[in-house]
Amino acid sequence: MKNVPTLLRRELNAYFASVLGYIVLMFFLVVMGVTFAVIVSYLNRGPTQMTAMKIMFSMFWLPSLVVIPMITMRLLAEEKRAGTLEMLMTAPVTDFEVVFAKWLGAVVLYTLMWALTVLYVLILHHFSGGTAALDLGPIATGYIGVLVIGQFLIAIGLLASSMTKNQVAAALMSFALIFLILIVLNWLGYLFQGGPVNKIVRALSPSDHMEDFSRGIVDLRPVMLYLSGAVWALFVATRVVESRKWR
Amino acid sequence: MQSMIKVENLTKRYAGVTALNNVSFEVNRGEIVGFLGPNGAGKSTTMRILTGFIPASSGRAEVAGLDVFDDSLEVRRHVGYMAENNPLYVDMRVNEYFKFRAKLKGVPHADRKDHIQAVLQLCGLTDVRNRVIGHLSKGYRQRVGLADALLAEPDLLILDEPTIGLDPVQIRQVRQLIKDLGKRHTILLSSHILPEVEMTCNRVIIIHHGRILASDAPENLMKTLNAGGLINVEVRGSESEVQAKLRGVDGVNSLQTRAGEDGYVRVTVEPKAGADPREGIYRVVAGSGWALRELSRTRTTLEDIFVQITRDEDEAEEERREQRRSLLR
Repeated sequence: MKNVPTLLRRELNAYFASVLGYIVLMFFLVVMGVTFAVIVSYLNRGPTQMTAMKIMFSMFWLPSLVVIPMITMRLLAEEKRAGTLEMLMTAPVTDFEVVFAKWLGAVVLYTLMWALTVLYVLILHHFSGGTAALDLGPIATGYIGVLVIGQFLIAIGLLASSMTKNQVAAALMSFALIFLILIVLNWLGYLFQGGPVNKIVRALSPSDHMEDFSRGIVDLRPVMLYLSGAVWALFVATRVVESRKWR
Repeated sequence: MQSMIKVENLTKRYAGVTALNNVSFEVNRGEIVGFLGPNGAGKSTTMRILTGFIPASSGRAEVAGLDVFDDSLEVRRHVGYMAENNPLYVDMRVNEYFKFRAKLKGVPHADRKDHIQAVLQLCGLTDVRNRVIGHLSKGYRQRVGLADALLAEPDLLILDEPTIGLDPVQIRQVRQLIKDLGKRHTILLSSHILPEVEMTCNRVIIIHHGRILASDAPENLMKTLNAGGLINVEVRGSESEVQAKLRGVDGVNSLQTRAGEDGYVRVTVEPKAGADPREGIYRVVAGSGWALRELSRTRTTLEDIFVQITRDEDEAEEERREQRRSLLR
């Protein structure tokens, strides 16, 4: 794994050497900024049970659905299309190092994006006069949730990117998978109220987990679920990259 | 002499296609070997196997005494590779790219600057070192690929079509560069352009339909395949007389004449195998008192050899097929 820092640096540079990194950041900030403004004006109407950041975290699927396919689509698909994968894989690096560094690069960018929303917390803090209205504990665990779920979805996006030479196909594939994981699971939960199906869906659904995270609960079961999910996706992506060897 | 590459019975099958069929060859340390063959002959496949990008279906390949499959990472440290179409990260700057590649290839931190400086200079890239690779001309990009292959001072350079798509001036530059590199590195390069291989390589391996058809020094290949080559003669004299007298010369197999408007007759002589009738022709011409304007021998080029070998092979293939068909009937 000694080549990971070198590869990671290249990945991060690549985001900002092209316009892609900036476009993604801009998209994310616009969506989150508008969401934040809507939430604040909604909360202004009168007292509710919800806090601003809790609603914010419950909306995490909205940027994820677009941003994650955007930051993962190029990762392997573009290397395959341009043939640079051959240059990479004939240097003394392992296939897993390459896959892992690409995943890590996307996770770092994703973390950076969400780190910018800490600004909203500061704004809330400033205007709420620093009273108990702002409970930092649940906000911190909410961010943990965003990262834990996000890193898993990035691994899924990377897996999609490993399977094609076409970036658009990769983006659509990861969009479909993320849609399935974030939206369809949640919707199934509504469809089957009560019963075993509901139980299973609730155990798997990121929106349910996010709800817990943003209430200050860090349940190790979903954390393990997402971490092992990511390990699985990275493993499969590595096998797909290696598949050139046994096809 | 120690062998740098040792390939034994290498076979590579893709779904339904046999790209390499039981190929064996060796490359000694310090040699410049040219892989010659039409597109799809198996040149790139062999190179990809040697660099550890894909494994063979069967057979063994060794680079610097290491098995390319079992010791893949170690082999890659010994090899500088420029892949087909020279893929590069077009969004990076030249300097940046070399820094990244040097780190990946495990060039120690202390040597990195010197190595980069050295390849920049060697490949004439110093002026463009701060430019974005995607903005460079094709010739410069080719040099970036070549410089990258050299970066870690590898024992073996594997260059897949290093001069493809370059203009004649650039081709000459890259060729010269390869020749110079041959003094310190072992080089295996592929090409479907014959003069290139003829000019740069000590040895040529001709590969066609995944099989090695010939492997020898370019001069030897020419010698064995066609000692003669045609002989051109231009003399002033009457066509019929020239024809009759030259036909009698020792070693002449057949000849054709064509009378020019200026009174000269152009004769194309095909000598008998292994014979050189030029001296005899001169004596006849001098004896007859004709004026002689040209007496020369066309050199057999690798191109002729290549066309001949691959045609023989295709014919043999066709014959085998025909035999099988008649057996089935």
